[in-house]
Amino acid sequence: MSVQQQKQGVPLWAQILIWLSITGLLVLVGLGLIRAQRPMVSVGSLAPDFSLTLFDGYTLDGASSLKLSDLRGKVVVINFWASWCKPCEQEAATLEAAWRLYQPAGEVVFLGIAWTDTEPKSKAFLKRFGITYPNGPDLGTRISQLYNRNLGVPETYFIGRDGTIKHIQIGPFASVSQIQALIDRLLAE
Amino acid sequence: MLAELGFGVLVLTFFLTLYSFTAALYGEWKRSEAVVESARRAMLLTWPLLTLSALALIYLLVNNAYQVSFVYEVTSRSMPAYLKATALWGGQAGSLVFWAWLMSAFTSLVALRKWERDRELLPWVLVVAAFTLAFFLSLIVFFENPFLRYWQTAGGNVLRAVFQPANTLPFIPSDGRGLNPLLRHPGMVIHPPMLYLGFVSFVIPYAFAMAALITNRSDDRWIRLTRRWTLWAWLFLSLGLVLGGRWAYDVLGWGGYWAWDPVEIAAFMPWLTGTAFLHSVMIQEKRGMFKQWNMLLIILTYALVIFGTFLTRSGVLSSVHAFAQSAIGPMFFGFIALTSFFSVGLLIYRWGSLKADVEIKSLFSREALFLFNNLLFMSVLVVCFWGVLFPLLSELFTNQKVTVGPPFYERATAPLFAALMLLMGAAPLSAWGTASARTIGRALWKPALAALFVTAVLFFTYTRHPIALIGFFLIALVLFVTFYEFWRAARARTKAHAENILLAFWNLFGRNRRRYGGYVIHISMMLMAVGILGIELFQRETQGTLALQQSLVLGGYRLEYRDIARFPGPDSREVTRAVVDVYQGERYLGQLYPRIDYYPEAQQNMTIPGQRPTLRDDLYVLLVDWKPASSSGATFKVYVNPLVNWLWLGSLIFLAGILIAAWPERERSAEQ
Repeated sequence: MSVQQQKQGVPLWAQILIWLSITGLLVLVGLGLIRAQRPMVSVGSLAPDFSLTLFDGYTLDGASSLKLSDLRGKVVVINFWASWCKPCEQEAATLEAAWRLYQPAGEVVFLGIAWTDTEPKSKAFLKRFGITYPNGPDLGTRISQLYNRNLGVPETYFIGRDGTIKHIQIGPFASVSQIQALIDRLLAE
Repeated sequence: MLAELGFGVLVLTFFLTLYSFTAALYGEWKRSEAVVESARRAMLLTWPLLTLSALALIYLLVNNAYQVSFVYEVTSRSMPAYLKATALWGGQAGSLVFWAWLMSAFTSLVALRKWERDRELLPWVLVVAAFTLAFFLSLIVFFENPFLRYWQTAGGNVLRAVFQPANTLPFIPSDGRGLNPLLRHPGMVIHPPMLYLGFVSFVIPYAFAMAALITNRSDDRWIRLTRRWTLWAWLFLSLGLVLGGRWAYDVLGWGGYWAWDPVEIAAFMPWLTGTAFLHSVMIQEKRGMFKQWNMLLIILTYALVIFGTFLTRSGVLSSVHAFAQSAIGPMFFGFIALTSFFSVGLLIYRWGSLKADVEIKSLFSREALFLFNNLLFMSVLVVCFWGVLFPLLSELFTNQKVTVGPPFYERATAPLFAALMLLMGAAPLSAWGTASARTIGRALWKPALAALFVTAVLFFTYTRHPIALIGFFLIALVLFVTFYEFWRAARARTKAHAENILLAFWNLFGRNRRRYGGYVIHISMMLMAVGILGIELFQRETQGTLALQQSLVLGGYRLEYRDIARFPGPDSREVTRAVVDVYQGERYLGQLYPRIDYYPEAQQNMTIPGQRPTLRDDLYVLLVDWKPASSSGATFKVYVNPLVNWLWLGSLIFLAGILIAAWPERERSAEQ
């Protein structure tokens, strides 16, 4: 820095270091850009399959893990959330209320997927909001990478009986009726 | 018709900018005064032309020209006219036009300066600015054209093109898709333009810095020329950040104002380097030091501005602010690579000639404290930069996208901000050149004692939270020091000029705007810090479903659910509004009206809180859900956000401070 006077300009080793770090940063951002350019799942495309291991205490039809393709024939609501995400708190109670409406009939499955979160914090969040629908961690962000979500949490994907994505909700739900409207449309199809 | 005109003008402007760039470069090389002059005049034409193009687009927006795809994407018939007009920056293409328009306005202002005095620098400023403008215009013309229209082929396919393709008919949707309801807020009118203004105006000091490097001028002329620019740029950027916070606080429905979202950080990073720059240029002006450092800071600021724009628009990072993915990502990437290699290379080339005139003599001198201040700002920047790049890094090495959340930023930056506050307390009391621990200690012990007293009072009356107490101590210290500085200077004036104390205060601002404006900004920052401490450490919340006449209690307030009604609102909304009585103990305080607005065409709800702001706290009530049958009640979420209104009060004072500092003063009068 300017505090030390340098008569001769920048020494060679420093120059090499500077150029290397700038190039490194650019490579990093460039690779991120290439990844971001990959096509995103969109409404109408087949929902990529994944398996999800549920948190302790959660089951679906008695099993502690599930595969999305096994749920074909049902309407699936996949909600990506994180315990550090404020809007997720806002919608947590709403999602749970909607789940309780549909759970008895067994036609609709809600899945919560905790994204880039720690297990204790995820569990505390689920307990705090009394969430009963199946929830599991997105280990290694494998699921979110399939869906190439890059708009942040919360994000919710509505999958029709035929296994295609019918609606993508970016951001939190404000009311149960909003979720109901979306699901009822899919059930009617 | 208007679409063709708008597009034609854009293309013309693009070529003019290219011409201006080439001519300025060529004219400098051949030392031809006439060619440089023609470059200058070409640049002067860009602003009226872009104004025409932007007006054409606004006209299309306001008049529901849904054949134009941009208009279709961001407006709908039910939106009020002011929102239709401001939807200009509600989508990628339009916001680029707006950006280019601002950029050409600033560059034209530079071109209108008296050239004789800075004949050496100005052509190069023009070269750099014209290059940046040409880049943005090329994005619009080739990738994100807002004037594309829909055309239908005989087969029923809909195409997008500016000019009518053969065998097609115009396709005109009957209504537009409409703006995202979150953006339908008066904040939309003012928050994005402020941020863009801030971003764009930092290009000018950068262009001057580059010109100084190219012409090998190692004096501080470029800094003196851009000093006020930089202040205005900083004003706009700061306002953009604060307004964004206020908008989020009102709209997002959880009382949050800052979420450490990557895009917020992207706007915050140039603010950090810009703030460091504003401080360190004073050292170059007064002492001839930090020349290389200042160059580095302005290059960083510019690079971060472009980088921030890139992040928002390329889909590289997750964010609520993201624009839809688009093809301009790679273009931006190339531009960033080019400008950073060029500027850093130039700086390295000229490094030796930017030596300091003097050296730092004492660790407690004002220049040393300013250096610490800069290092702290840089440390905050490193934390932010790391947090933003971390997902990319982790994806590269582990194939997992791991994001760092607000706790990371809060823990990493809080001590740095505390240290900055300590410096804010100490630096105004230190002297240029030589100062020792003893002289600073002598000046500081009285305000420190007073601040300690305040902290003790707070300990017994308000809170025992250790972090809050440390925070309040630092805030009190800075406030006491700053008031003491004002008082000392004003009293000196009353003696020297026989003025009364109020007049003396007033004249202080006239005498050294930057210094005393700066102190006002320090005061406002401390008020904002009070608000941030309050909401971060003491926010309380509860949630409950209430039947009519039932109550919810939180933080000394009691809320009683009185009524609910549903009615159509403006902008084709369906409004559901609850009425809640607020009591404190048994005292009736008034009513709040939290509501839910439903936008049918976007199928989206907006939750609008009922707020009761006081300086003690902000009562913030949300209607979360309700059932049509009144018996089953409504669900409310209630927050009590202590002290948060100091944040908004502080931002008003901040505005006053920066206006004092940036207000034009008579040339040379305040140099001393």
